[in-house]
Amino acid sequence: MAGSGNAHLRPRDQVLLQVEDLVVEFPAGRGRTVRAVSGVSFDLARGETLGIVGESGCGKSSTARALVQLPPPRGGSVRLDDVELTTLRGEALRRTRRRLQMIFQDPISSLNPRRRVRDIVSEGTRVWGAGGDRVDEVLEAVGLDPATAAVRRPHEFSGGQCQRISIARALVLEPEVVICDEPVSALDVSVQAQILGLLEDLKERYRLTLVFIAHDLAVVKNVSDRILVMYLGKMCELAASTELIERPAHPYTRALLASIPGSGLDLPPADRLIKGEPPSPVDPPSGCRFRTRCPRAASRCAEEEPEIRPLTGGHWVACHFPETA
Amino acid sequence: MRRRLGPGFWIAACWILLVLAGALLADLLPIARYDETLAGPPRSGPSADHPFGTDGLGRDVFSRVVHGSRVSLGVGIGAVLLGLAIGGPLGILAGYRRRATDAIIMAFNDVALAFPSLVFALAVVAFAGASLRNVLIVLGVLGVPAWTRLIRGATLSFADREFVLAARVLGVRDSRILWREIMPNVAVPAASYAFIGMAVVVVAEGSLAFLGLSVQAPTPTWGGLINEGRTLMDDAPHVVLAPSLVMFLTVLSFNLVGDRLRALTDVRHSGLEPVRQAPPAAPAAPVHAVGDSLLQVEDLRTHFVTERGLVKAVDGVSFTLERGRTLAIVGESGSGKSMLIRSILGLLPGSGVDRSGNVYLDGDDLTRRTPEEMRHILGPRLGTVFQDPMTALNPVRTIGAQLAEPLRVHLGMNRKQAREEAARLLAQVGIPDPGRMLGRYPHQLSGGMRQRVTIAMALSCGPDVLFADEPTTALDVTIQDQVLRLLHRLREERHMAVVLVSHDLAVVREWADEVIVMYAGKVVERGPTAEIFGRTRMPYTEALLQAAPRLTDPAHHRLRVIPGRPPDLVDLPSGCAFQPRCAHARDRCVTEAPELLEDGHLYACWYPTGSPISEGAESRGR
Amino acid sequence: MILLHRLVRLLVVLLVVTFLSYALLGLLPGDPTTQILGLSATEEARAQLRQELGLDQPLLVRYADWLGGLVTGDFGTSYINQVPVAQELAERLPVTLELLVAAQIVALGLAVPVGVAAARRAGGTLDQVLTAMSFALLSTPVFVLGVLLILVFAVTWQVLPATGWTPISVDLGWNITSVLLPAITLGAGQLAVYARLLRTDLIATLQEDYITLARARGLSPRRILWRHALRPSTISLITAVGLNLGALIGGTVIIETLFGLPGIGRLIVDSIFSRDYLTVQGGVVLISVGYVLVNFVVDLVYAAVDPRIRHA
Repeated sequence: MAGSGNAHLRPRDQVLLQVEDLVVEFPAGRGRTVRAVSGVSFDLARGETLGIVGESGCGKSSTARALVQLPPPRGGSVRLDDVELTTLRGEALRRTRRRLQMIFQDPISSLNPRRRVRDIVSEGTRVWGAGGDRVDEVLEAVGLDPATAAVRRPHEFSGGQCQRISIARALVLEPEVVICDEPVSALDVSVQAQILGLLEDLKERYRLTLVFIAHDLAVVKNVSDRILVMYLGKMCELAASTELIERPAHPYTRALLASIPGSGLDLPPADRLIKGEPPSPVDPPSGCRFRTRCPRAASRCAEEEPEIRPLTGGHWVACHFPETA
Repeated sequence: MRRRLGPGFWIAACWILLVLAGALLADLLPIARYDETLAGPPRSGPSADHPFGTDGLGRDVFSRVVHGSRVSLGVGIGAVLLGLAIGGPLGILAGYRRRATDAIIMAFNDVALAFPSLVFALAVVAFAGASLRNVLIVLGVLGVPAWTRLIRGATLSFADREFVLAARVLGVRDSRILWREIMPNVAVPAASYAFIGMAVVVVAEGSLAFLGLSVQAPTPTWGGLINEGRTLMDDAPHVVLAPSLVMFLTVLSFNLVGDRLRALTDVRHSGLEPVRQAPPAAPAAPVHAVGDSLLQVEDLRTHFVTERGLVKAVDGVSFTLERGRTLAIVGESGSGKSMLIRSILGLLPGSGVDRSGNVYLDGDDLTRRTPEEMRHILGPRLGTVFQDPMTALNPVRTIGAQLAEPLRVHLGMNRKQAREEAARLLAQVGIPDPGRMLGRYPHQLSGGMRQRVTIAMALSCGPDVLFADEPTTALDVTIQDQVLRLLHRLREERHMAVVLVSHDLAVVREWADEVIVMYAGKVVERGPTAEIFGRTRMPYTEALLQAAPRLTDPAHHRLRVIPGRPPDLVDLPSGCAFQPRCAHARDRCVTEAPELLEDGHLYACWYPTGSPISEGAESRGR
Repeated sequence: MILLHRLVRLLVVLLVVTFLSYALLGLLPGDPTTQILGLSATEEARAQLRQELGLDQPLLVRYADWLGGLVTGDFGTSYINQVPVAQELAERLPVTLELLVAAQIVALGLAVPVGVAAARRAGGTLDQVLTAMSFALLSTPVFVLGVLLILVFAVTWQVLPATGWTPISVDLGWNITSVLLPAITLGAGQLAVYARLLRTDLIATLQEDYITLARARGLSPRRILWRHALRPSTISLITAVGLNLGALIGGTVIIETLFGLPGIGRLIVDSIFSRDYLTVQGGVVLISVGYVLVNFVVDLVYAAVDPRIRHA
């Protein structure tokens, strides 16, 4: 899986956001380096939702933060329309950031406990001096009553409502791309459905392009047009949502699907598709990073990193021995 | 806010204001001048004219104490403000900028902390001259390292929070982030520390004065008064006691105000922690037959009174469980599912929680057991696994020590036997190289391995029932599959019963034989797994099933939305707790809480789904 | 490797600390030559004396000289009474050390049982009483407490001496009698600080999952409290023992003056009044170095208490 390569990227004029060879690393103490993301590429057409899925340590959240340049990635490029974000600094970067907003996992921690909802939501408009009249509109759009909600503080709201406030804050600046980093994993099932439905509504209403990051494949499939599967900082597989779920080609994708209880898919039991635990991103395996847990791994997998390559139209996989129907 | 600060805070605040007023108005008060000798007979005790008596020269002690407060409070307030003015910006800079700025500032700070501040203050004041200004500057500067450290710590703890990140994503400038996002959060701990700092400075100034190195005579200072009074301790103790008492009360007040302010910054109370015991939840007389099931729970209730009101966390739950079977308890947060198993095990948080009902293990009523007797049942007969393997293991003890402990306590093994048995248990739960694992600490293991260790611990004394509270929620899905398979295998091998608490219906459907669905502390549906999922009767269960996304649904499939939010446990709706969110609810649901009805399995609903009544009926249209 | 890194850091801190104590005290107003020769001395005589004492050299050179002396145990000779500073410090160090150790024993010896007793039933009557008492103790300035204790034990009941010192070498019994009241006075404030810290941390620890799980394995409350909860709750306490040493040493200055003990603190106060710069410098450096060394040891103790720090 260790997939690298850019063959799957579409022509630049067809996409809104293009990420190429993204590398994110940070120090792990004692002079070691965590290789969180090692050469990931993807793109999004305007109005598209790309799901990124993987288990903890796969680099999906590091990817999200690298997109908004917090902090800027160690290597690679992030291009929004014609603007290369990774080389922007200071004021120019600040101006571009507003086109790219983010929603976080923890609904409580992402709101300042000492500010009122109206101040939280209108912060962006105050900074940019415009759109103050949009505050009530976005509050209504996310399903909160501006008259009663705006004067209260975050701790008076439930987790789901806090997530609505976060979404309102992100939308007030009319961003083009919204990056959702595990936006529903801290919520109960009944509330999760509300937020997922809300995101779909808002996407239509404000013509948003979404990057939706989660560990739950069923959630990701529900909202995404295409899904990218990541493992230990690398790409495994990229395909349209239904294609990926129905015809998974990468051994890791298959293991991930088989591990989901009651998936209703025709797959062997998970314990035949994956073994052991993920290695440390400080010291990833050579060649394909999934080979240590892969039942199909051969000597080639240790020596040579698989490049991402096309399977059928729009279905891409980074594996030497993919499952083909 | 007012209520949480408590009366002590307000008394202390009043005392501080009183002393402050005395200091400001000392010259205007109708009292003797502080340096007027023979204002009364020397060394006379407290009287109407001289409330604190007189000193060796016949000066009015009260007047001297009041005037002395000028120096103490002046230096206290001034030095704290000076320390804050220098240390505050340094701390914010270090905490927000991090990296080199932080390293440099903190290195200086560490060195500064190494100086014995009082000794240093003494030397500086002695050599530079003992004036109010010098004392204030020295004590203020000596407070800088503590301020820097405090403000840096507070800043650090907020600078990483997502709301700061969100502000940066919005394009907010650093200066505005500091001012609007970080400062308001740092302000409360800073205010708290300002008062504690004043207490520290007042004591330090007093110490200098006591050694004769603060503001010089004839200006009175509290420390100086106490020092002078020492020589008269034999026959006029009031001369030393009066300033001592005033100083003590002032320092105490500053500390108290600071302490209460700090309590405000503590983790926000949910208002749902027990504060006192609830009245007995139900009549105790058992009206049920005790069967020969392995585990039988009858009408279990757990209530407690919180700051906000009565919480019925578990409200009348009954079930039976046989060997070799898995019972799943499923529900959303606040449904009482975790509290239910803590209640069965008698592991309720401290005091203030009232439990009623009965729990029978092989016909033996556990609710009648003393804590001492329960200790012989917990472990050997009932095993427990919790959600987060990170917090479930003691971080400072080795795996071997923790695993061997119940073996030695309950099974009386010696050290060597326990160690061998521990290694065998680790091998049984699929841990490679168990011998080496015994010497390791929890933080050296991955999450999946830790959960295997906690399972091994729960199984160490061969329990009859294993309680697993969300055992895989903190784990990745591929690891979850491994752990659930392990639990199932162990259940088969050891012929145990398993109680599995989960919020995940898919997990429950796959691994449980029987299911209890809980909502707001009550059982709303209960029965064999196939029945519950095949012929769902309770609208809540049905809605929950339809709200969870499935892999086989098409992309962009609209999930069933349950309107509203999970119920507030201290303010439950009347009748059926689910009725405000229920599409099928009618008037009867509001007025009357449904009992558990039997139809293939148990459900608590007046208008169950799949029945002609509800199909034909019009919903109330919420 | 890590130890080496820490040792290098320690050396740097020691250099900076000694330099700052030397420089700051050296820069303060006041001229030692006036102290020695009196106000009436001629400018010529002063200049000559300055040269003899090396005071005409640049600050850095003087510091290097003085530091060279320090390393070999030579703290210089007092301008005032012509006694080597090192000798004077060495005579008085045992008194201060005994006082500090005794105070820590009083503080820690009582703080652990008090903190554990209070945390065991948090919010209970015993906890409220102990918490109020430690709060009051915390708010009593050390000299106020000292005066009160003297008033009660020495003046009213006359069971303990108010002042004076008997070295261990002379008589152990009298030594203990003479150190008892000072040690209690000095340790009381720390006792309150330690007990409060331990109580807070213990209460937090007792709410951890692993404690509930220890109960779920049928272990006795006593075993859980002492074997499972105490050790992970002592990190703040250990930090405080190191950091509060500064406050404690400041306290010895007061205590030694109040109880008339011939220790370093008293020596520094006396030297301050007699403007004996070299002795003050020597004393401050000795204390600072002691503080840095103790905190170095505290860092090592952390690792022993918490394996997470050991492996980080």
